[in-house]
Amino acid sequence: MAVTMHDPMTADKTRRRTITGSLIGIAAIIIVGVIGYFLFPNNLALLTRIIAIALLVLSIDLVTGYCGVATLGHAALFGAGAYAAGIAAAHYGITDPVLMTLIGALAGALAGLVSGLIILRAHGLPQLVLSIAVIHLFHEAANKASSWTGGSDGLSGIAPDALLGLFEFDLWGRTAYVYGLFLLVVVVILLQVLVRSPFGMLARGVREDPLRISAMGASVKSVLIRMYVISGVVAGIGGALNAISTQVVGLDSLSFTLSAEALVMLVLGGTGSLYGALVGTVTFLWFEDVVSAANPFHWLTMVGALLIAVVLFAPKGLYGTAAHLLGRIGGERR
Amino acid sequence: MQTVFSIAVDALAYGMVLFVISIGLSVTMGLMRVVNLAHGAFAMIGGYIASYAARDLGLGYAVAVLLAVVGTVLIAIPVERFLYRRIYGAPELTQVLMTIGITFCIIGIANFAFGPTLKTIPLPEALRGSVDLGFRSIATHRLFAIVCGLVVAAALWVLIERTAFGIKLRAAVDNAAMAAALGVRTEIIYAVSFAVAIGLAAFGGVVGAELLPVEPYYALRYMVTFLVVVSVGGAGSIPGALMACLLLGAIDTTGRYLAPEYGEFFFYLAVIVIVILFPRGLAGRFK
Amino acid sequence: MKKLVTATIAAVIFSSAAYADTIKVGVVGPFSGPFALQGKNFKAGIDAFFALNGNTVGDDTIEVIYRDVPQADPAQSKALAQELVVKEGVQYLAGFYFTPDAMAATPILEQGNVPMVVMNAATSAIVTKSPYVVRTSFTTWQTSTPIAKVAKDAGVTKVISLVSDYGPGVDAENAFKAAFEKVGGQVVEAIRMPLSTNDFSPIMQRVKDSGAEGVFAFLPSGPTTLGFVKAFNENGLKDGGIKLFAPGDLTQESDLPALGDAALGVQTTFHYAVSHDSPENKSFVEAAQKAIGNPAELSFPSVGAFDGMYVISKMIEATGGEQDAAKAVEAVKGLSWTSPRGPVTIDPESRHITQNIYLREVAKADDGTYYNKEIQTFENQGDPGLAAAK
Repeated sequence: MAVTMHDPMTADKTRRRTITGSLIGIAAIIIVGVIGYFLFPNNLALLTRIIAIALLVLSIDLVTGYCGVATLGHAALFGAGAYAAGIAAAHYGITDPVLMTLIGALAGALAGLVSGLIILRAHGLPQLVLSIAVIHLFHEAANKASSWTGGSDGLSGIAPDALLGLFEFDLWGRTAYVYGLFLLVVVVILLQVLVRSPFGMLARGVREDPLRISAMGASVKSVLIRMYVISGVVAGIGGALNAISTQVVGLDSLSFTLSAEALVMLVLGGTGSLYGALVGTVTFLWFEDVVSAANPFHWLTMVGALLIAVVLFAPKGLYGTAAHLLGRIGGERR
Repeated sequence: MQTVFSIAVDALAYGMVLFVISIGLSVTMGLMRVVNLAHGAFAMIGGYIASYAARDLGLGYAVAVLLAVVGTVLIAIPVERFLYRRIYGAPELTQVLMTIGITFCIIGIANFAFGPTLKTIPLPEALRGSVDLGFRSIATHRLFAIVCGLVVAAALWVLIERTAFGIKLRAAVDNAAMAAALGVRTEIIYAVSFAVAIGLAAFGGVVGAELLPVEPYYALRYMVTFLVVVSVGGAGSIPGALMACLLLGAIDTTGRYLAPEYGEFFFYLAVIVIVILFPRGLAGRFK
Repeated sequence: MKKLVTATIAAVIFSSAAYADTIKVGVVGPFSGPFALQGKNFKAGIDAFFALNGNTVGDDTIEVIYRDVPQADPAQSKALAQELVVKEGVQYLAGFYFTPDAMAATPILEQGNVPMVVMNAATSAIVTKSPYVVRTSFTTWQTSTPIAKVAKDAGVTKVISLVSDYGPGVDAENAFKAAFEKVGGQVVEAIRMPLSTNDFSPIMQRVKDSGAEGVFAFLPSGPTTLGFVKAFNENGLKDGGIKLFAPGDLTQESDLPALGDAALGVQTTFHYAVSHDSPENKSFVEAAQKAIGNPAELSFPSVGAFDGMYVISKMIEATGGEQDAAKAVEAVKGLSWTSPRGPVTIDPESRHITQNIYLREVAKADDGTYYNKEIQTFENQGDPGLAAAK
């Protein structure tokens, strides 16, 4: 994907190739998802969690990978979605999962707008610091509003209805997983369209050379804000999915830790491509699950070693480097 | 009035402790342009060495401080040689990934080697107890931290602005290729600055241990604070870092006095306002 | 892959029939990260139980599976608990250091036919979330209430309350206030400090300005307690005659070597001191210290875990190893035994542990180490928090 984009080919050919590429990609997600369902029928809770976090990582990719905005506070968008869906269910009795997801997406968009307005006031390192301040403010606000959010005890009492009135959210987590996979596929398809749309190209342009974009007459600020709102929708859906599948929302979903971890996952997979985000999330969470189950006491060292190894041997991230290698092989054949 | 003075003294003491610990990070981030999230991890290593030397081996405080600084630098040399050298000039996010990985590893190793309990560094007799300032008393080690902060600030400023090394360093940072062409051995310059930064981290870890106690999670727990302080000051600027520490120390301390419940809000709202007003930091050398 | 198939089959078998076999207990706790010490204590308590009582009940062998939730993370906790139940086929869930983690896992208990034994999480309401929850630790209300009487007896009538701004801190503040006002005292000011507070000097200035004669403090055990106690001393509050009262989280044994002389004389109320003088505790401490490696790391979560395993062994005994959560929980209602901390009972109604709460003072032993010296006993304390919530 990312590679073909840079290839000096005719626009028409590029388009056809990328469309085929994204069809293959989406088919791959579905196939991996289905295989996961049958191969790990007892691990669906973990897989659902991976999907929810993957939506967050995708959302970061939209602003970081495509627009070059540095953020360590993106969990604010995810947490806003989770809390909105949770509060709707626990306090207002809105327990339809689809409706909860929509509420989460809306809240995520709103949080994206607010944090975007703040974070986009600076660049580089100061921007990172603004994002840290934002996530801490969100966290404190949720902690203070404990009558709404349950504070540090977490928001419990979320009992979603059966999906479409047919499928109960059961102990095995089948419904939640299938619903999550469905959401992920829909989001990835829409994002594929988005990043190839003129708007997506504009966003890439902003990352490469903001000055030139503004010289072209487009407003850099408005592009970034719009992208932030869109990324809020994606993260909010992830948050809502998390609230629906685990039926509880904790302050950790608005934490700096989650923001930082999600960014690490993105860089691990490779920024600037949707599949990089997915590969990074799956690798990180799966690896963490395996090593922490194998040694619950000292697994952190292993995760650290993985991150170092990736920087040393796959500096463009796992997916980025793999795509680069494949692209080179393909290039030779051509 | 007395209360105002009292708060001012607290603010000064807190700000200077922050300064001593964070200034090394300002050097790596501003001058070497490495987002070194493992800074806290090196401060922690310094704390562990000092604690081991002073508490378990019974050595004097000054010896312990020296051992901590030297020991941490020695540990950092292979890390610099094999890991950091690979990320000089790499994209920021790659640096983040690498240094977080290093931090995770150091936390895991510290947890394994020293166990998860708090480690203290016994103070010498002269630094224990309190000093009476007339209107209030203040812990002696806090005064010590203030003095250390001032000395470090002055020494660093001289090193960077007034010595031949400082000139080479600034040249290497501004344009590595050009500096190398002019005969500056940038690799050595970088290695030495890295060692200085790590030494400062270790020193800060020891001096600040009364306020930020040494334990395995130290490396991540205070990372955000260090990062905020350095960026608000403007990475790479000694006076900027000093100003930022004093300002943020004052805001934090006053906030915690006036409305402890909303201490976090105060602090981070202030950070947002400062960053928006001074997007390059209070005295930023670079963007 | 093969392992997975076996696990699946095992899960199916366990849920239907009971053969003399391995009974799995899933323990969720913070085994890495900033609270690793507490998780380590869980494991030490469990290991000590096996060392003293063996790991078999009748024909059945108990096997413990640990899962790590480094910081309060209810979603992760629930996912792991779910995985333990459906994949590993555990018959019992146990551990849970943080309240939100325990709360998050309660909805799966009835569906999974699994009882939960809470070994630490200290918010009163957890036991109300499911009839299958039993708790062998304490509640913040339980440990914070008796200190009010201690303060009053010490002649203190005006107290300022300083608590960390999160669930347990708020619980402690409410518990102390209720109890202190009942005995005629007055809480002149109640301050909630952000969890991330490092420098407590400005707070100490507030204490001075408030004119209080005593301080009630609740902070989670860990690095901040050190800064707090030191700030209390260094700002001249201790010398100024202001007394410090707190539940025992402030002076947990593993923090004492770091606190050192600064903590001497601090009075706390808690359900367990490692120094508790009884034959049961002696053998427990010996086994647990061996299990944890470094004796200085042993502290209160270990006893919650030890008694938790005792309760689980009784449950296994009552059900004959069969998976029957209702029967298991029914069997331990009203169960009384002598724990290392003293006589305890599982309250049949709340399924929370009724126990003695001790007033302790930090003292220096002959060998130069510090310990919590028990000086007064409040017998048979239930959980006032549940009653207060009603």
